[in-house]
Amino acid sequence: METVFKIKDFNLFYGEKQALHNINFSIYANKITAFIGPSGCGKSTLLRSFNRMNDFIPSCHFEGNINYYDKNIFDKDSDPIGLRTEVGMVFQKPNPFPMSIYDNVAYGPRCQGIKDKKQLDEIVISALEQAAIYEEVKDRLKDSALALSGGQQQRLCIARAIAMKPKVILLDEPTSALDPIATSKIEDLILELKEKYTIIIVTHNMQQAARISDFTAFFLLGEMVEYKPTEILFSHPELKKTEDYITGRFG
Amino acid sequence: MYRRKRTADTFRKSATYLSALLSSVVLIAIIVFVIINGSGLLSIKLLVSDYHPHNYSLEDKTNKLDRSLPPFERPSNLNENEYFSYDYGITLKDSKDSEGKSVVVISKIDKRSPLYRMDDKSDPQNTVQLKTGFEINTIIFDNGSVTSRNGAEMMVLRLEEANYIETMSLSSGGGGIRGSLLTTFVLIILTLAIALPFGILTAIYLNEIATKNKFNEILRSLIDMLTGIPSIIYGLMGAALFVPFSMSVFKTQGGSLISGSLTLAIIVLPVIIKATEEALIVVPRPYKEASYALGANMTQTTFKVVLPNALPGILSATLLSIGRIIGESAALIYAIGTAIKDDVSVFDKGTSLAVHMWTVMAGEVPNLEMASSIAIILLVLVLVLNISVKLVSHKFLKKYEGAL
Amino acid sequence: MEHSKFGTTLSNPNKVNKTKSRKIDKMVRAGLRLVTILSASIIFFIIFFIAQRGIKPFIGYGELNVSLSSFLTGNTYFQLPNVYGIGFVIVNTLIVVFFAVLISAPIGVLTALFISRMMPKPFNGVFLVIVEMLASIPSIIYGVFGAGFITKMVNGLASLLGMQTAGGLSGLSVVLVLAMMILPTITLMSVTSINAVNRDIELGSMALGATDTYTFFKISLPAAKSGIFAGIILGVGRALGEATAVSMVAGNAGTGPNLNLFDTTRTLTSSMLLGLKETTGLDYDIRFSIGIVLIIVILISNMALNYVKKKVGRKYV
Repeated sequence: METVFKIKDFNLFYGEKQALHNINFSIYANKITAFIGPSGCGKSTLLRSFNRMNDFIPSCHFEGNINYYDKNIFDKDSDPIGLRTEVGMVFQKPNPFPMSIYDNVAYGPRCQGIKDKKQLDEIVISALEQAAIYEEVKDRLKDSALALSGGQQQRLCIARAIAMKPKVILLDEPTSALDPIATSKIEDLILELKEKYTIIIVTHNMQQAARISDFTAFFLLGEMVEYKPTEILFSHPELKKTEDYITGRFG
Repeated sequence: MYRRKRTADTFRKSATYLSALLSSVVLIAIIVFVIINGSGLLSIKLLVSDYHPHNYSLEDKTNKLDRSLPPFERPSNLNENEYFSYDYGITLKDSKDSEGKSVVVISKIDKRSPLYRMDDKSDPQNTVQLKTGFEINTIIFDNGSVTSRNGAEMMVLRLEEANYIETMSLSSGGGGIRGSLLTTFVLIILTLAIALPFGILTAIYLNEIATKNKFNEILRSLIDMLTGIPSIIYGLMGAALFVPFSMSVFKTQGGSLISGSLTLAIIVLPVIIKATEEALIVVPRPYKEASYALGANMTQTTFKVVLPNALPGILSATLLSIGRIIGESAALIYAIGTAIKDDVSVFDKGTSLAVHMWTVMAGEVPNLEMASSIAIILLVLVLVLNISVKLVSHKFLKKYEGAL
Repeated sequence: MEHSKFGTTLSNPNKVNKTKSRKIDKMVRAGLRLVTILSASIIFFIIFFIAQRGIKPFIGYGELNVSLSSFLTGNTYFQLPNVYGIGFVIVNTLIVVFFAVLISAPIGVLTALFISRMMPKPFNGVFLVIVEMLASIPSIIYGVFGAGFITKMVNGLASLLGMQTAGGLSGLSVVLVLAMMILPTITLMSVTSINAVNRDIELGSMALGATDTYTFFKISLPAAKSGIFAGIILGVGRALGEATAVSMVAGNAGTGPNLNLFDTTRTLTSSMLLGLKETTGLDYDIRFSIGIVLIIVILISNMALNYVKKKVGRKYV
């Protein structure tokens, strides 16, 4: 298996408070890796480190490194903006821009300088198809994205990320704000996307992790407790802490 | 990997920084300009003097200088441009008046000087005491005359040479803003006296009593509309309504401080209503509910519980209104007039500080220095008022942090 | 029967108390309502009394009546004995306000962006204070600054370009003074609007690989569009009505329209404020007529701009 991210001795602090302790593991290509654990355990914080979105939090500082295909993303000569074009992110609460559906998806490519209408059309349609929403919106691409339902908006955000042709897609609790039907549609979508993209998903819904992920990492109080292929973690967890969480004894 | 546009970003960034810089530059330019031009005239003398100079024509009835008296002692701390007369015990200096003309000014005069008190030629009963700051225009002696154009040194020389003084004409200076200062103060008091009750009561109605029906919505929008009206329109209304009102009811001769205050009251009314409403809204419901639960009626609850708690907001409203009043110019030009007065009367015309600035700039020779001096005073007042408003709202919010 | 402290009978403890209380409340309620109605009717007083005076020149002077059509379309302000034309004055007013907004709107919006998004917490307060101070400076001081400094600058600029000015009193001076005065208005309203933009969409943009600057210009500013536009409309209203400062730098040209910005100009407000000699007579009354025209111009421009705002802002909300 190809390694996409290698996290080495990663410790992260918000001011004085340490949020992540000595994280060490790897993310593999074209697999779905799930981060699970109780609220506040640091899983979203770690996720945001992969595309350096923590840079926008002033009190945040860290030690250790994260390698993206053999290059430390925190190196002085690393380009966080370029990184984000390859490592896309979908947020917990859908955040489409107050623009048309078309313009939302075309935003990223336009930002990178693509102006040709034909090219943009191709990119937009392809992204919307991959996000399994094209059929629903193909007749109203110029309508406001804010008129879509919650589930549709989230799939639009996924399309927006896909339009950048990333290698990795980070999903931060993507279905926690959605109803069960929208949730299952997106879970199906994520399974399809695995073919082309490496996916890391943070979820507080264990069943979701068990359903769709290949690998699962269990976090507790800023430490990564256990990291196994999903079937193994859920059927024969190595540590008691993991077992307690999975069986619902806490969290 | 896609290409990225760095040059566009740099352009946008620099445009933004430049714009922010511009705002700062404008403020600094105004302040510097006003200080450079105005600080020269800024003094206590400016604040307490009359604007219009008094001219006197004086004579010394005793007519002869008593040469038996010993000469006066020369003061030890004379400046470069000050000249002392041993015979008369008076120190004269060269100076400039508020319009920049060269004048000769009395800088010191000994109480025992023969010139200390002289007779007023226009009123035989009256004597005038010469004071520091008086400007001597002309002195006619037995053996000639001397004017301010000859300068202080020459004037003292001639004084020493002469035997007696036939006539001395001098002015008690002017160029002060005491009248306008007082007028501004009176306007503030009168305006607030009219507008505060009206504004507060209206705010109480709108906030505590009015139900959400069409009529009250209309009332509210009519009052909101008042904020967008330019001050000169208020001035026109003052001239059209309040001046005739003041003339017929108070028998004034045209515009007066009364018509001015009425006009200003209407200008600040929306300010007071809005600020009071905001203060009333913040008063926590539990206070009102407790009052009703104790059996009080709406009147008691409103005036004994709600209103006192809204006092800081009303204070803010007052401070904001004062700021508006002292800054107002166009409206008062119409509602009162532009005549600068030294004696302030409610039934007479007068200028606020701002209108005083307009008048001295509108003359044949605009008096930039005086306008700038007053500008300094206004800016300081505005700054103090702004800071006070901020302090008051800060304290006010802190008070309700828990209860909200 | 026993009486309690509140003047009631204990067998009917609440009855009398309620009635008296209710009566007081009713009276107070009515009184407050009256005061409020009075406050609300001020606007009618304003319109009525100005209109009363302002109509006189057209109907109350017999032979010396001013003709309404030549008043509204004329190119000469005054000619003996009863020719008053403000057609060109209206054009002048619109021109100077247009240019003033053209200058101050971009600067104001960008300054607001700087304050709300580009400067970190402690320092942006300083700039905000600067803008708030500018907003509270009385117009007479802007006028003095204009007459003493701006006109001199314009004069200097004109001689550099080989043009003539009347000591700097010109349309350009008016434009610059107005721009300075409405800049804080636009900035403050824009700061509020930009601050209210949802941080989530900004993060979303940056997660797609956009720089912060790109995000601010392509996402934040458009999202704050309606508030920014409202600030501009407020600025336009202020510029149209500004009298004192404009009068001190305009020059009050006699004929027009004055399209060359280095020439003196005359606006509706400068016509009202300058040349005030007597408080009676045609020359005085005509200023009220000009006042009516000013009110109408402000109303129309407000409605027009608000209409545009509605149409433009509706799309993606």
